Amino acid sequence: MFRAIFYKERVKTIWYALLALIVSVGFAGYMMLRVSRALSLQGPEHIWIVMLQRDVIFVDMLKFVPMIIGLGFAIVQFVPELQRKSFKLTLHLPIRASHAVGAMLLYGVVALLVIFLPALALMWGYLQSVLPTELWQHIIFTTIPWYMAGLAAYLLTAWVAMEPTWRMRIVDGVIALLLIRIYFLSATPESYNGFLPELAILTALFAPLSLISLTRFRDGRQD
Amino acid sequence: MLRIIKIIFWALVAMLALWELPWCYNFFFTGGSPSVPFTLYSSVVGEFAMLDHNDKKFSYSDRTGREYTEEQFDSILPMFYYHQLVTDGRFPETICGVSVTPRQIQISNFNYRIEPAELNKPQIGLYQMLETMSGRVDLVLPDDVFRLTDTGIEFIDMATNSVNEKKSKAFTDMMLSKGFRFPAHRIAGNPTDRKEYDEGYVMLDADRKLFHVKMTKGRPYCRAIELPEGMTPEYLYITEFTARTMLAFVIDTEGGFWVVNRPSYDVVKTGLPAIDPNEETLLIMGNMFDWTVTVRDDVSRRYYALSASDYSLLDSLIYDTPSDAIKGLDFTSHKDKFVRFR
Repeated sequence: MFRAIFYKERVKTIWYALLALIVSVGFAGYMMLRVSRALSLQGPEHIWIVMLQRDVIFVDMLKFVPMIIGLGFAIVQFVPELQRKSFKLTLHLPIRASHAVGAMLLYGVVALLVIFLPALALMWGYLQSVLPTELWQHIIFTTIPWYMAGLAAYLLTAWVAMEPTWRMRIVDGVIALLLIRIYFLSATPESYNGFLPELAILTALFAPLSLISLTRFRDGRQD
Repeated sequence: MLRIIKIIFWALVAMLALWELPWCYNFFFTGGSPSVPFTLYSSVVGEFAMLDHNDKKFSYSDRTGREYTEEQFDSILPMFYYHQLVTDGRFPETICGVSVTPRQIQISNFNYRIEPAELNKPQIGLYQMLETMSGRVDLVLPDDVFRLTDTGIEFIDMATNSVNEKKSKAFTDMMLSKGFRFPAHRIAGNPTDRKEYDEGYVMLDADRKLFHVKMTKGRPYCRAIELPEGMTPEYLYITEFTARTMLAFVIDTEGGFWVVNRPSYDVVKTGLPAIDPNEETLLIMGNMFDWTVTVRDDVSRRYYALSASDYSLLDSLIYDTPSDAIKGLDFTSHKDKFVRFR
């Protein structure tokens, strides 16, 4: 049954996932192209010095990309199904509704990891060939909260999308916005390093929130 | 199961409320810390002098309550307002009985700020060692950087991203021969070409012994700095002031503030009471007669006047600056550049 749910989710999201993968890897590639161009035009000394003295990390444009991808993934995965009211059919499958929704969320999280990890791998692969450990780690560690924000945006959007009433959707949306803000509080590179375990736990805590919306959905709550 | 999830939900809501509600209250209903007048110690009158701004009017006074005109105020703070005095043709021949010129004042004046956020921020761990005796007026940034490892110092050529073994060995051997024990505990320098001269770095080794390390004519220079009995240094700040009479400031584990003189390498304790550079901001405005040290924390602004000759405490003045802001959960602070629950 879980295989069938994963298949259903794949059918729904495959084109968006491919587009997101292209955007994710494309942005990371573009950032690396900028680094490469700066290296050839201004020399490695310039790159190293601006990183050391001015906190430049060259990948700032990537900041909100994972969050937008995560948000979009949840919308593509859940909103059409909810609007067509076919979500009810999923809940009538011969497994527990919470397991069905859990499988849908698991699919989404794994898909996002498949979208994000090649981008991180591309950046790591290039940067470690031209920069010393301290500098490429400086860049990669700075981007990790942004990718976590992508997962958080996905889980929170799924929670808000599944909520059956507009009144609570707005309340949940405001809560989700404030929670997402936590991932973008500091512009200082590597400022989240010591907070990454807590941030990972916080992100994981967003996953079960969808079950509150699911319960309200099954209870027939309406505006 | 659902009960646990609802507990998670309400815990997240409580976290957001503890974070955002105090912020909203502070933003809309509190006025911040009360302002304090601009204050400097005047060696001419032997008192703190204050410049205040109320109702769009400036008032000039000292702590005894004496009022001054703007011109008189310039004259009691000649080291600060020497440009104005020179422009007005009022620059005195002697100050505090000492014959001085505007050029001498220019050379001896310095401002130095020590901020908690500069101490507590992510560090990359790569540093640049400038040539201190290039023979040229302008400093030039090197084409390599160095890192401190558990066993030595390692120079990395930026063009090739490879370790310069010869230079690394020369510096490591020199430092080891002077008694430096790796790994280094702390390092402080100011690697920029926008300054008059370079003094390299001051470092604490694994035993908290203090060293001065720099590069002169391409060769390593390392000197162990003898510390007074019982003093354990913790925080280092290289000075590189125009007067070249000091090498560094050192704060010890008890909060004592010390000066490393140049070229003698004497380590002299100042009369400042204990300070915490992780919590308090220091601003030192020094001249050839006295230093005014401002120590600012969340509830007060403290002014200390030190003698520039022996760093003894001349006078102090404390303004209470209580804040009516309420404290909630926060993730960031002006005292550091890290994100965490606080």
